Amino acid sequence: MAQVQLKNLEKVYNKTNKVVHGIDLDIKDGEFMVLVGPSGCAKSTTLRMVAGLEDITAGEVTIGGERVNDLSPSKRQIAMVFQNYALYPHMKVRGNLSFGLRIAGRPKAEIAAAVDKVAEILEIEPLLDRLPKQLSGGQAQRVALGRALIKNPGVFLFDEPLSNLDAKLRASMRVRITDLHRQLKAEGSSPTVIYVTHDQTEAMTMGDRICVMQAGHIMQVATPKELYNAPANLFVAGFIGTPEMNLVEGAMEGGEFIMGSQRLALGSDLAGRLSSQPGNAVLGIRPQQFSLVSEGPALQAKLVNAEFMGHEVYMHADCEGRRLVSVVGAAEFEARGQSDVIRLRPDPKTLHVFDKSDGRNVSLHGGSIAA
Amino acid sequence: MADITMPKTAARNSDEAAAAKRARMDLVSAVVRYSLLFGVGFLMLYPLIWLVGASFKTNSEIFAGAGFLPESPTVEGYVQGWQTSTPYTFGRFFWNSFLIILPKVIGTAISCTMVAYAFARFEFPLKKILFGSVIAVLLLPNVVTRIPQYILFRDLGWLDSFLPLWVPSALAGDAFFVFMLVQFLRSLPTDMEEAARVDGANSLQTLIFIVVPMLGPALVSVCLFQFMWTMNDFLGPLIYISSVDKYPVSLALKLSIDTTEAFEWNRILAMSVLTITPALVVFFAAQRYFIEGISAGGRKG
Amino acid sequence: MRSQRFLGYAYLTPYLIGLVIFTAIPFLTSLYLSFTSYDLMSSPQWTGLSNYERLFTRDRTFDKSLTVTLIYVFSTVPLKLAFALFIAAILNYKLKFINFFRTAFYVPSILGGSIAIAVLWRYLFSAEGLVNMAIGAVGFAPVDWFGDPTNALFTITLLRCWQFGSAMVIFLAALQSIDKSLYEAASIDGAGKVTTFFFVTLPLLTPVIFFNLVMQMVQAFQEFNGPYIITQGGPLKSTYLLPLYIYEEAFKKFNMGYASAIAWVLFAIIMILTIVAFWSSKKWVYYAGDKRS
Repeated sequence: MAQVQLKNLEKVYNKTNKVVHGIDLDIKDGEFMVLVGPSGCAKSTTLRMVAGLEDITAGEVTIGGERVNDLSPSKRQIAMVFQNYALYPHMKVRGNLSFGLRIAGRPKAEIAAAVDKVAEILEIEPLLDRLPKQLSGGQAQRVALGRALIKNPGVFLFDEPLSNLDAKLRASMRVRITDLHRQLKAEGSSPTVIYVTHDQTEAMTMGDRICVMQAGHIMQVATPKELYNAPANLFVAGFIGTPEMNLVEGAMEGGEFIMGSQRLALGSDLAGRLSSQPGNAVLGIRPQQFSLVSEGPALQAKLVNAEFMGHEVYMHADCEGRRLVSVVGAAEFEARGQSDVIRLRPDPKTLHVFDKSDGRNVSLHGGSIAA
Repeated sequence: MADITMPKTAARNSDEAAAAKRARMDLVSAVVRYSLLFGVGFLMLYPLIWLVGASFKTNSEIFAGAGFLPESPTVEGYVQGWQTSTPYTFGRFFWNSFLIILPKVIGTAISCTMVAYAFARFEFPLKKILFGSVIAVLLLPNVVTRIPQYILFRDLGWLDSFLPLWVPSALAGDAFFVFMLVQFLRSLPTDMEEAARVDGANSLQTLIFIVVPMLGPALVSVCLFQFMWTMNDFLGPLIYISSVDKYPVSLALKLSIDTTEAFEWNRILAMSVLTITPALVVFFAAQRYFIEGISAGGRKG
Repeated sequence: MRSQRFLGYAYLTPYLIGLVIFTAIPFLTSLYLSFTSYDLMSSPQWTGLSNYERLFTRDRTFDKSLTVTLIYVFSTVPLKLAFALFIAAILNYKLKFINFFRTAFYVPSILGGSIAIAVLWRYLFSAEGLVNMAIGAVGFAPVDWFGDPTNALFTITLLRCWQFGSAMVIFLAALQSIDKSLYEAASIDGAGKVTTFFFVTLPLLTPVIFFNLVMQMVQAFQEFNGPYIITQGGPLKSTYLLPLYIYEEAFKKFNMGYASAIAWVLFAIIMILTIVAFWSSKKWVYYAGDKRS
């Protein structure tokens, strides 16, 4: 168990290519922290700097209060699970699990006991005498997990571990990993986890807190709930949530949002939350926050496509030249009638307004950005 | 971020010191590696460099020193060597080599392509055993078949001709090339051939118009390797060619060491340079194909 | 895949003809000939096992030739492979000029089998040749390379090792195809450079090592050009490798039957060693397969 701190961490390649721009992050002891972002946002690079697999250009990483910049990976109390498992192909599962302990010269009995314990936790006992090439994807990933677990590290590092698995397996492994974390916490060992993924669903379902990154910068660090309900900027708003939040450009005037020829009254609640009145604004509406109405203030749009999802319908509509996506119940959809003109009313309590020039969310409760 | 006016903390100093140390160690490691590589490379290549330089020296100068630059470069070695001590010039011997190589390479390319096509794209009875025979031939030491082959060629009346050198290769006798082409062809998708089949092409048309172009790089490798090996081939011509007027350059070179007691080294070395030049030129022009061909074997294990 | 069952055979025809005429029949014929005495003039005379009997009991030359051949193979092959692996390991780095070095080390392999190089070698190791000049420059006495039996074999060995480039290129390709994340996992596991090399890199190279080992061994047993041109098998038959012996018996003395017997003994040795290598490979060769890592 160890807290991890990144202070002003930077990574520069070839003296000119800066990919990590001085990030600060405090990860609490025992926390499950997810680093998420699109490809190229440098989340893996950051993870690898924590692991010691990449040199740190500037800034500092501390693990358990100790500065680890100059320590080799094996001395940092970390263990890592790789995207492609990185199992030693010529060693059986047992050998893969015990390699680190064997190098450290631990006594045979101790090694055997550790291997058995880990195999039991991950349910890989029948696989102990197999070679990696005889394992399925899920089994291999569990062995990789076991190899990390057996070291009893202070910090677990995961580098997109589920990307190589098919969708169904991914879902079950997600659960297995979070269950394991909870189980270890209950037993008292409480390991800290830093988990890198590009999949926001994984991030939202697994993390205690999520660090959203883009192009080597941290966009926001918050709990899943906060990220969903109070995104600090346009990037986070568009990144978290499926289907994506509707980000509509327009202008703010008085208490209204102006979109083409339509005007939408924002309500006093939202107006009170605004910390500024940006001339160029972006209105953020989650698809699930629309209701189909036949009268009252609403946006009028033309239905272009409807995707039937079972008990929900995803509606794609054109409004003043912009595409709006909304999610309504199937019954509600059926009830709207035959016309392809629909009236959508967003819930004013969940609206967000962003300043187009810097992407900031100017409509947060208390007007501040959650850290 | 704030990298201009931030005061240096102890941590920052330690960072820089560590980075500097890492850079030093990298430098040392690089220096050691490069020295080793250059040293070995120099030792390996010096004989060749020396060879070229020596071919432009006079006979006495060759034994005078180890340097490779001739004091007064002369083409005497080349001129005299070209004349040889036979009624023929070296040009004749190069021509003979060419006459051996060209049909052999063409024969190899055609027959090995056909055979590879069969193994990679068709199913037929006994296929596994027959492919096994390719591997067996690949590993078979030629020494066991050489004598009866000689007897066969003698009975056919092919002694002292180029036929024994052409025909086995024209019948896909070089298992190495068959194997190489089969492996390459197996790694190519069959989509285009299937499309051709739907378009109504028969197997031969598919082979010529679709498969052969796809085999391009591998075929080039095959031809290059066969060219080099045939240029260097000594034992084959030694056994089968007895008339001097048919000698390829490999036999001609040997002749030049045989006949003179007091070696006119500068002539011999000059002709040696000439005999390896085509191989070197071909190699450098098509390096990529050679190294790729061999490396592929390493990658697939 | 076409399933017209016999169309494939149409394309195999050249191979099948060649296989039968130039491989299968000669193979069996040479076995037959080894039990005969045949001088190409009259027809072969059946002599039973007498060729083999003479070979194993009374033929001093054969003893010498066999010994020399075995020494040659068992010294060159390991040396050449070890050196190839060593250089490949050094090259397996983010070096500039890696292509230059790879080419430079590979060039001797393409030329090495040629007569030109054999001729060059003969000069290099002659009494006033380059090698002795270099030795003299560092203060040692010149060595009698071709007159002294022990030294002569060394020159041939050196020629073969000089051509390590082809094996090196294969090793280098294999080294570069090893997944980098394996090294990272090993570093997290606490393995230093040496441990990583022996426990991670080397095991993954075993298929390629095996391939090179077998190929080099089979080639080494059939070495002809070098000894023939450089030392003519001497001095005192110290470089009289078996292929030379076979050549002289068959094409100089026209003892086809006896030569065939020697050829078959050589073949048997190669086959046995190859089979041993294959059988032992189960113990030490790890095929990673192409599924994971």
